[in-house]
Amino acid sequence: MINHPENTAAKGKVYSTAQSALGGIADGASVLIAGFAGLGAPQSLLRGLAATGVSELTLICQGAWLPQAGTFGIDDLVAAGQVKKMISPMPFHPESGGAVKELWELGKLELEVVPQGILAERMRAGGAGIGGVFLPTGAGTRFAEGRELRIFDGKEHVLEFALNADFALLRAKEADTLGNLVYEGTGRNWNPTMAMAAAVTVAEVDQVKDPGGINPELVITQAIFIDRLVLAA
Amino acid sequence: MPGVPLDATAMTRRATQELFPGAVVALGMGLPCHIPSEVPAAGVWFIADSGLLGNDGINANADTLDAGGNPVATGFGGSFTGVVDVAGILRGGHTDIAVLQPSQVASNGDFVHWTTEETPGLLATGSAVDMAYGASKVVALMPNRHSVGRSNIVKECNLPVDGVGKVNLIITTEAVIKVNRDGLELMETAPGWTADEVVGITDAPLSISPDLKEMTFQVPKLAAPNKVFPDAMEALKDVPEGATVNVDGFAGPGGMAHYLMTGLRNLGVKGLHLISNTAGVARVSAFGTPNIIDHSILVENNQVAKATASYPVSPSASRPSAFEDAFNRGEAELEVVPQGTLAERLRSGGAGVAAFYTPTGAGTLLADGKETRNIGGREYILEMGMRADFCIIRGYKADTLGNVVYKGTSRNFNPVMATTARTTVVEVDEIVEPGQLGPEEIVTPGLFIDRIVLRPRDFSAYL
Repeated sequence: MINHPENTAAKGKVYSTAQSALGGIADGASVLIAGFAGLGAPQSLLRGLAATGVSELTLICQGAWLPQAGTFGIDDLVAAGQVKKMISPMPFHPESGGAVKELWELGKLELEVVPQGILAERMRAGGAGIGGVFLPTGAGTRFAEGRELRIFDGKEHVLEFALNADFALLRAKEADTLGNLVYEGTGRNWNPTMAMAAAVTVAEVDQVKDPGGINPELVITQAIFIDRLVLAA
Repeated sequence: MPGVPLDATAMTRRATQELFPGAVVALGMGLPCHIPSEVPAAGVWFIADSGLLGNDGINANADTLDAGGNPVATGFGGSFTGVVDVAGILRGGHTDIAVLQPSQVASNGDFVHWTTEETPGLLATGSAVDMAYGASKVVALMPNRHSVGRSNIVKECNLPVDGVGKVNLIITTEAVIKVNRDGLELMETAPGWTADEVVGITDAPLSISPDLKEMTFQVPKLAAPNKVFPDAMEALKDVPEGATVNVDGFAGPGGMAHYLMTGLRNLGVKGLHLISNTAGVARVSAFGTPNIIDHSILVENNQVAKATASYPVSPSASRPSAFEDAFNRGEAELEVVPQGTLAERLRSGGAGVAAFYTPTGAGTLLADGKETRNIGGREYILEMGMRADFCIIRGYKADTLGNVVYKGTSRNFNPVMATTARTTVVEVDEIVEPGQLGPEEIVTPGLFIDRIVLRPRDFSAYL
């Protein structure tokens, strides 16, 4: 159980800095990080995570794409030596490499490759209270090794267990002070699923509105999943 | 002297010939990302695992990314979703074609996605596993020769595979090759290449098709198929006797496809298995107006053999519903499933999850006869995914491509049910042109919707 640090900000869940919004995170934490190919990734929170100095992290994410100049991404966090392990469908872009590839080749970073749909489904199960799911994907490949198999409808299925984490770091376009979120374009990606699967969920947003400022038909992540908010720096 | 290898544009154009109007096409990273830029009409659904449904081609100014991280435009009628729903679309069998760029394909259709002998850590699976699993047809779009000179089309993969026997067709820099049960067959050669030259640069053995021809590069015209039907009966006329039908709605009149229900009643088809939250309680529970349309009109017409529902009875014992009466007379079967389990079973059916362990219901009558399992010190029961033949849902607005938005809590079971049936029919208050529903606003993407009917304003003619 993680206690939320005292929040001195004026409004509900809104924290004044990324680092304060990450209060309670400890060495060895498991952290879900949203984003796909760099879009929808919480850069301020990643910088904040680097500033906390916590180490031995397990990151669960799409993968580290090389950040462009002036941006801060998962690759930078890995380069800082704070990450022990990554669980990801594509830990680094095969054509561009980066710190993830280098540290992995040196044996300083553990990588676990999980196909995107299986990883997403495990997280969804974790967030929705499902203990495990039988999936047909991955049957007959290395992704089924060591797992329980069962035949349904004449086809082999693989038992995958739910995945939860200590923290989730999200990136949304707008929030209200209650924590309802909307995204933009493919920036949505892993955010709604990760929002449900962590003990503490922190969202970095461009704008925080008062309750009622977001059309209820357009809310994608409901406030009940969000613990803390911070404005993107 | 062999010809030159085809460039990405020529390969991509040849790949467009595999598409058909209305096809749902998943595109992996690399060469497949070029396909939307080559197809002018918005007659197909291009899916990117980044969460984009309706990619309209590379556009440097866009803030939406495709599978390869390229900025792309969102077409009219396109929308966004999260990766877990993309996985459901892929795994749940909602795609017709997947186009991938494997780094290796073997004679039996096995493939390796992007990992090479230079990156032997098996690192680049991405969504390839899901894309290859769910699509009816998998097209590999790839160079025949690796940059260091060996062939990527091999007798057996020498790297761990991302899919077993999944690839159906290979379009290379020099040829089109079909994957048959007994090996690879050379179907087409690029201009300037002979069959022998292609065989010579390919590691895997190739048989030569008796219909061998030269590759062409015309891009087909693909117009979206018409989904708008003139009336409810026409949209449901092929519902067979004994069909399983998802019927949306919560309890009251909101979110229920009344018009489609009257169509089903007028068709008179018998032996139906209805999957729904209730078995028709709106009429007896004082919701709405008298003469309200609910499941009762089908029950009273002797069309319902079975209901699967979470709330099958009337809230008032003195006013039993039509289904309760039929059940008590022994004319209809009933399966009671708690609402959350019902929703999850439907979601699983639609997303290609065969079965799941849920803690709800464990230790109660609802767990009788079901497998139980202790996971992390908690008891779970195994529940099965559920699919239907037909689904009738109620939206607020749809565009002609089938994208749907709802209003208030009338959303309820609609989005999940829409993913589970072979044929999904929606009735809406308004039908608009593609582009009139915002891409962030669309709740049910059109790829799940097969038929659309306009809901009448006045139901007096249908009671």
